[in-house]
Parts: sequence; C-alpha cells; structure tokens
Amino acid sequence: MEDRLKTAISLAVKSGKLLKDNYGNLFRENQKESPRDVVSEIDIISEKMIINSLKELYPNDSILSEELGYFQKNENSIWIIDALDGTVNYLNNIPMFCVSIAYWKENKPLIGVIYNPISTELYYAADGLGSFLNQKKISFSSKSFKQSLSAMSFSGKAFSVENRKKEFKIFGEVNDITRGCLRTGSAGLNLCYLSDSKLGLCIGKANKLWDIAAGIVIALEAGVTVNFSIIDDQRYLVDFIAASNQSIIELKANIDLNYLKLI
Amino acid sequence: MSKKILVYGAGAIGRGYVPWLFKQTDTKLYFVEKNKNLREKLLKFKKYNTYMTTPSGYNCYESKFEDCFSPGNEFSIKYDGAITAVGPRQIFDIKDNLKKLDCPIIFFENDSKLPNKLSKLTKSNNFFFGIPDVITSNTAPKFFLNNDDLSVVTEEGETFADETAKNIGGKIKYVNASELKKQWLAKLYIHNTPHCIAAYLGYVRKLTHLHEGMSFSNIYKIIENSMIEMGKALINVYELDRNFIDWYSKKELSRFSNKLLFDPISRVAREPFRKLGLTNRLIGAAQLCLQAGVRPTNIITGIMAAFSYDNINDEDSNIKILMDSLSPDDFLGLIINIHPHEALYELIINDWKTNEEILNDIRNGR
Repeated sequence: MEDRLKTAISLAVKSGKLLKDNYGNLFRENQKESPRDVVSEIDIISEKMIINSLKELYPNDSILSEELGYFQKNENSIWIIDALDGTVNYLNNIPMFCVSIAYWKENKPLIGVIYNPISTELYYAADGLGSFLNQKKISFSSKSFKQSLSAMSFSGKAFSVENRKKEFKIFGEVNDITRGCLRTGSAGLNLCYLSDSKLGLCIGKANKLWDIAAGIVIALEAGVTVNFSIIDDQRYLVDFIAASNQSIIELKANIDLNYLKLI
Repeated sequence: MSKKILVYGAGAIGRGYVPWLFKQTDTKLYFVEKNKNLREKLLKFKKYNTYMTTPSGYNCYESKFEDCFSPGNEFSIKYDGAITAVGPRQIFDIKDNLKKLDCPIIFFENDSKLPNKLSKLTKSNNFFFGIPDVITSNTAPKFFLNNDDLSVVTEEGETFADETAKNIGGKIKYVNASELKKQWLAKLYIHNTPHCIAAYLGYVRKLTHLHEGMSFSNIYKIIENSMIEMGKALINVYELDRNFIDWYSKKELSRFSNKLLFDPISRVAREPFRKLGLTNRLIGAAQLCLQAGVRPTNIITGIMAAFSYDNINDEDSNIKILMDSLSPDDFLGLIINIHPHEALYELIINDWKTNEEILNDIRNGR
C-alpha cells in the first residue's frame, strides 16, 4: 500500500507541474456537458501521463478517469483519477484547482492524494496512516456547525432539472445557518480544507466520483465522518455529507436533506 | 517552609534532571504526566532512581516526589514555581493549564521563542525561558532498569534561566538577557545542531545510542566539522568569544561520546521535520552559516541524514514516504520550503550525490 501511496504522490506532483506550466495558457476548449464543464487539452495530457504510468506499474488494476473513461481489469482494485479538478477555475485563471488521485480496493477508500500546484498544498492519506498536508499531519477538529464555514458542490448542469431548485434551497439554507456556504469549484479541495479544519462541513450532490474519491480518504483519515452514497453507477455520481457526527445530526435537525440520497 | 515546584512532564529532563536541581534544597516536587502508564508506575512508589554520570561512574539519587497528576488535576495546591519539560510541540497542549498558574514558570523546551508565543496565546506574563545545558537520556542501562524500571541517566551540567524567575531557586544560574542569549546561541548551534546530526548519522549506521556513533571516525569527523562551521558562524554573526566557542565545542564532543549516558538515538532524532524547520537547528543553522560567509558542508550532510530518517515509530515517519515519492527539487520546495533562488538550495542539490555516497559509506561501515 505504501508503494501505491508513493506512486500517487509522485504522479500528482508531476501532473500538477504540467498544469502549473500551462496555467494561464488556454489550449482549446471543447464543450462537453455544459458550458462550465469544459475541458482543456492539458487536462487530457496530464491524465494520459498518470494513466500510462499506472498501467505500467499496476497492470492488473482498473483505472477510472474523468476524460478517458474506465479501463477495466480488476474492478476490486481501482484507481480513480481526476487530472484537473476545478477546470472552470483553471480556465479562468483562478488558482483553485488540483490533481486528484485515489486508490480504492473492494469499494473501500484506501489512498487519496490531492495536489494544488499553485498553492503547493499536497494533501495525502492512506488507510491507517493518517492525513497529511505537505510534511504536517492534520486532523479534523470539529466545532458547532453554526460556527463553521461550509461548502457545497453540485453540478454546473442540473442533475435533475425539476429538482434544480432543491440544490439551491439546501445551498441557501446551509449558507444562512452556518458562517456561510462556499461553492469553490473543486469538491476535492473542499474535502481537504474540511480535513484541515478550515471548513466545518461539506455537502455534495451528484458529484463525480473522480472529484471526491481522494478527498474522501483524506477526510476519513483526518477523523471526519463521511456519509456518501453512489447514486448513479453508470455516471459515477455520488451524494455525500462530511462533517463531525454531531454537526451532521444538528444539520439534519435544521435542514431537510432528504434530497441527498445518503446511507 | 518547603517550596512547592510543579514539573510538567516526567520524561528525560523532568524526571531525570530537574530533581538534581532541587536536591540540596527544601523543595517538594509534583509531576504532571499525561502518559497514564508512566503516571501509575510513578505513583506506585512515589520515588525512583536518577543517575548522574561522573568521570568515575554514576552518582545515584533516590528522587522522592509528592504526587503525579494527570493534566488538569494539578490545581489543588499553591505552587511557588513550575517547570515545563514536555517538548516544544506538546507545550501547546497544556497552555490552558499554564494559564491557570500564577507562579513563575520556566520553560525547559529547547525553543527560546516559546515563552513569548505562549504568553501571547494565554495573555500571561509569568513564562520564562530556561536552558538545562545537559544531556539526559529518557532511559538507563539494563543493570539499572532491572532494579527500577523508571531509572534515568543524566549528565551533570549547568542550568541557566531568566533572572526574573529567580524565586524558583534551586541549582539554576539566573542570568540577564545578554548572558541567556549567549548560552542559548551556544546551546542551539554548538550543541543542538551537531547533537541531532550525530543522531541521524548514528541512525544511518543502524545504531541505538548516540555515543556508539561517535566511536566511528567518519561520523566523529562530520560532527566535529559541523561544530567548527557553527562556531565560525556564531563568531562572525554574533561576535561570540572564540575561546568560549572552543571550550564549548570541546565539551560537547566529549558529552556526545559519553559512554555512560546511553542516550537513545530515537530520542535525539525524533521529529525531523521540526528540526528541519526554516529557523530550527538544521536548516536554520545552515542559513546562519551562509549569512556568516561559512559554507555549511558538514551541516548539509547532517541535513541529508535527517531526510533519510525512516523510523516508522516517529511522529514524522512520513518523511520517508515523501523522500521516496518526490524528486530532490520537489522535496526541497514542497516539503522543506527552500527554493531554487536560495544559496542553500543550490548547495544541497549540488552536494546531493556526494552526500548520498557519504551516507552509504556510513551505512555500510566503510
């Protein structure tokens, strides 16, 4: 497992360098699913670099990636990668994006690495090892959710048109009941900031698995309670809420969260 | 009437050395210790042996104490003074406890900035810096442990503290700010820097105790040369007296080689990231040399040895994961926070392969 963690750290930093070298230089924008869900050429180059390395080092593992899809080998041993989480930020020169690499085995989140090459924040975690930011071990210290800054991530394009208002309703209510709710454009970084106690609560609706797979490991190892559920296994969509146990209980008592399909 | 002194931390300095400071005085000692197992052992007999090395062997002192509290339960008594010896990271965990004490508190924490930092955090003005210029092991040789498993071994040494805290008394030299600074600079750079380098090199050689490494000529030479580098820097930057530096260096080389002390390498080498902090005893020391126009060749060898400290039981054991994952450039930039425009970066990168060879030679006993 330690070898896989080292591989993930090494690839995240290499991939981050590619992103940083090209930050501010737009290559080409292709419309994919929505105007916000754009993809840049560098995203694909970066992803190919990671995938090729993983295929060489771990030929029997499966790989799920945002741009290039699913390479199925052993579905119980899977790398889940997003070479650029926060694409919209990246394309608009907002330095809040990251490389996200996770490794899950038998559906258990085991390794997570998230690297923001602009802030040079390298978050990493492995099952039983703890969570780290660069050299420092981090742990989540919970406070009352009303005293916490929170973040919510939901798709740029409505997951369900008829229910779109429900996403904004939750967002607004969380915003009003906490010290504010951010929509940062990077669910992975949200979970990192939660792990480091900068945020007190994160909510995700229909997030892509590759956006949060690494962040979930980092949050869990930092001591965050992460309640997540794959709501669409064809499109790899996940609902989640991450905070302290107490905050989750208090939040559910204050806000109707039934729209989130949680365990 | 007896003085009552509270001691936070019943580890090496707290349990092994502090009692010697109050041995000849009418003082009652109280410990605060968070380690439940250690606390219960201490409370079982309310005494243990601490040994002080002498040129001819050991002096034994049966240290008796009044009580040993778990943190938070120490406030039922009015103390005349307190001493902390818990570690520079751990002291922040007891800041609220310290805030509740109105007696002078001396920090034996190997970081001169901590009293100010803690004062700001707690809005207290009774925190003072102290320097126990001594090496104390947190354990003892087997023949002592067989009789008393709480035994510890310490050296004889001098202790300096801020003169404002003099009411605490004991065998402590209470000195003015200028003398305290001089002693601290010597302790920080002639003792602490080479001391941890000796530990990291000893670890590379897979040894257990610090003195064992000093018996290898290649390790001894690196330690001696790192003291020379630091001495030159202290003379150039702080105008410390050369004779004082020479005397201090000789004393330290002898202490590191003390075969009676059984100082564990794992204790001295612990938390390498703290020691690799920009202003701490490795990177900070090398930067001071560069500021003084001294090339820190041997200190950089020590820095490289710290990078390779892969003790899985250490709090900073992730250093190995990072060293194995990242290129030298990335490790220095992302983790150590020194960058290509800096002279020290250039020197570490330029010496990288040479130092790998030096460490390999030490590792392989060449």
